[in-house]
Amino acid sequence: MNRSVPRPCRGIGLLLSVGVSLGAYGIATAADAPKANEGGTRLQNGTIAYVLTHKFWAVYETPKKEECPTGMNDGPREQFRTLYGDGKGPKKYTVVEAQLKREGDLWHPSTTPEPPQLKFKEAQGKISYGMNLDGKIGPNDFESPDGVKGVDNQLYRAIGCIGNYRNMGTIYHFEDLFMNSYNDARIVIELTHVKSLENSDDVTVNIYRGSDRMMTDSTGEGYLPGGTQHVDLRWGKQFVSHTKGKIVAGVLTTDPIDRAELPWGSTFGTHAYHVFRGLRLQLKLTDTTGKGMLAGYVDTDAFIHHLNTSWSTHHHSYGQLSSQSLYREMSRLADGYPDARTGKNTAVSSAVNVEFVQVYLVKPDEKNPLTASSGGGR
Amino acid sequence: MQMRTVFQGALCAALLAATGVACAITTEPYWQSPGSKDKEAYVPELMPPGVQVVNTENEGPVFATADGKTLYMWPLSTLRNGQAGDRPKSGKATCDGTIYKETTGYMSPYPPGFLLPELENRKSCEALWPPFLAPADPKPVGKWSVVKRTNGDSQWAYDDHPVYMSSKDHKKGDVLGGSVSLIGGEMGAVRYPVGPTADIPSDLGLAVFRTGRMLVNHKGFSVYSYDKDTPTKSNCNDACLQTWAPLLAPLMAKPLGEWGVIERTPGIQQWTYRGKPLYTNMTDTEHRRVIGMDIPDWHNVYTQRALAPPSDWTVQDADLGQVLADSKGKTIYYYSCNDDAEDQQSCDSPDAPQVYRLAICGNFDPKVCNETFPYVQAKPGEKADSALWSVISIDPNTGKLTQAGQAGALQVWAYRERPVYTYGGDTRPGSVDGDNFGEFNGGRNGFRAFWLRDDYRANAHGRSPGDRR
Repeated sequence: MNRSVPRPCRGIGLLLSVGVSLGAYGIATAADAPKANEGGTRLQNGTIAYVLTHKFWAVYETPKKEECPTGMNDGPREQFRTLYGDGKGPKKYTVVEAQLKREGDLWHPSTTPEPPQLKFKEAQGKISYGMNLDGKIGPNDFESPDGVKGVDNQLYRAIGCIGNYRNMGTIYHFEDLFMNSYNDARIVIELTHVKSLENSDDVTVNIYRGSDRMMTDSTGEGYLPGGTQHVDLRWGKQFVSHTKGKIVAGVLTTDPIDRAELPWGSTFGTHAYHVFRGLRLQLKLTDTTGKGMLAGYVDTDAFIHHLNTSWSTHHHSYGQLSSQSLYREMSRLADGYPDARTGKNTAVSSAVNVEFVQVYLVKPDEKNPLTASSGGGR
Repeated sequence: MQMRTVFQGALCAALLAATGVACAITTEPYWQSPGSKDKEAYVPELMPPGVQVVNTENEGPVFATADGKTLYMWPLSTLRNGQAGDRPKSGKATCDGTIYKETTGYMSPYPPGFLLPELENRKSCEALWPPFLAPADPKPVGKWSVVKRTNGDSQWAYDDHPVYMSSKDHKKGDVLGGSVSLIGGEMGAVRYPVGPTADIPSDLGLAVFRTGRMLVNHKGFSVYSYDKDTPTKSNCNDACLQTWAPLLAPLMAKPLGEWGVIERTPGIQQWTYRGKPLYTNMTDTEHRRVIGMDIPDWHNVYTQRALAPPSDWTVQDADLGQVLADSKGKTIYYYSCNDDAEDQQSCDSPDAPQVYRLAICGNFDPKVCNETFPYVQAKPGEKADSALWSVISIDPNTGKLTQAGQAGALQVWAYRERPVYTYGGDTRPGSVDGDNFGEFNGGRNGFRAFWLRDDYRANAHGRSPGDRR
């Protein structure tokens, strides 16, 4: 499996028709698709479920970083030094003037201009992964590496030149790792009314929080299909969403969910979630895997709140991620869900590369209303 | 009946949503009733003259001075960019009369050399943590030894760590200087009380929850009891044993104090505690879980629990388990703060500099602070069973203690004499969106939810040796 090097996407005609770029996952044509129903037993009574095993914010990266022609962004450490020095200079700053001022700005982000010494570098170019979320082709939209036009992923503009979000950056790596380490970050999808995994015109898609460790191979790093996930309807009610979808030539495309909360916890006991508006899934399905993209508009305030409560300024510093600068940039780039009172957009188009493996779900019932699992995670 | 607890959260949430009326707190399963005589027993040990053992509400038995001042240690902690605290077996006490003026840079990413706030009022470490001095001719006994202070004084040490009193403690039984139950995440080098070994079988341990001291087995899995058992007979047999594993005692085990043994079958002994046979839950996949208590008639086992918080407060279902909430269902948060000076002074009480808290909750604007994390105001005459909860008078603009009745003063609830808060961004009962709000996920300088139960992580209890941070 190679998540970092996008492979060419075949079946462009089909994908153009649904307005999506899944190049990073090498979505195959119908001719290449496995015959899920021939001998497969995982689709039972029209139902199959999958658990999310990998997720990475979709960032289009070129080998020579041409999308970041002026380099990567500064992070908290560099910005602090720019503003206040290293504590050894002739001017003696106080904790209040420096550290606590930066923390105050972080926890109460503002769209007022940054100090002039701080310059934000947004990703350049017209190519990005993502989906056409609004059905339009606008001047700020991207074109996918496969030639799909109208791709909405303004979050990429904001995070594309921040080391933390790029391949093997801290957030890139650890958000995926911690999702696997902690069971409260378990995301499962259940498809019902599935006629076949090849074509099915009216599928119900349920999103839940699971509560179990995932089944792995002997390395502990490869995830296997066929595991069990107990659905957490006791503590995980806020993470339940429902939508409809279609499977065409083995690709599931869902209708957007107006507002969905997805568990996205990190370490140190943190358990924050992301708020997606217009959330949708585009997944190439087999009876053992689902690969593709999760996309929608991330709520700007909720995104920054998640960033700050899940990580710390120390962790932001690992990957040169200034939360204060990112908030300003996301607010400027916000392209969806205008506030009813101010008219200002509240959310930013985004995409997440995702991989699932098939699991069997155990749901609580009236006789056993409890979470059927013992929870877990480290 | 434990079944009540299973549905209590959901029923109360529904009631709150429909009528705006919340269920008042009941003692079970988290607190013990005021009439309960449950107190953790301890193993007597040799102590220097003038040292006593005092039972405290949630810390259990702790060592104290002759006049009742709780004793604390400050073990060396590895921080992001350095170490702070007393190095064991070094023979030295680090906490001295120095008044530090600058930051150390121990907590990444901020560099050292920045001036600390309110320097004119800053006290030395030893003023805040007076050393427990030994006499001129100290005689080490048991785990008690002596270290030399920089001024030549002798100071008692326990288990090779110098011990101190806290200037925050006022009376016998106070443990306001630090609590094992609150240790978690990256808080800096923290102090906590020292006590004798709990009188429990050597293959068992204790997990210190926010509300009680829970028995666990040698691997850290929770211990349970069953209402249908008698002191001399286990009634968990056949199918019951598919879920519950008797906590086996070695053949040589003998009854002692509150501990006993029953013979399940010839040669197979099971521990009992306070007349209850003990078990572990075979479906527990993680340490220190309380999930087994959801099954009717089964309970986690505590040596002692805290008494209840204000009676009109509530317990709410949240995304990891259950949280303590006010009468309207809003989650209760406490604030933690340690500064970045060499002596790692705490800054989470009203007598400490308030600029740390004001920066986080309002970017230095008290008005914003009081909207983001408003104080939990107490009704006139309100009290709690627990001595850990009190009502204090606060000036909401400065965050400092003030005289009751002073213009603008608020009567607010405090936990261990630190004000507690709700979060303005919480939109429904059980919302915990204010959790981890602040530096280092709210541990270093910020806000954390008051978790009572956490089925996924470790937010409802303090850190134990060997835990991940």
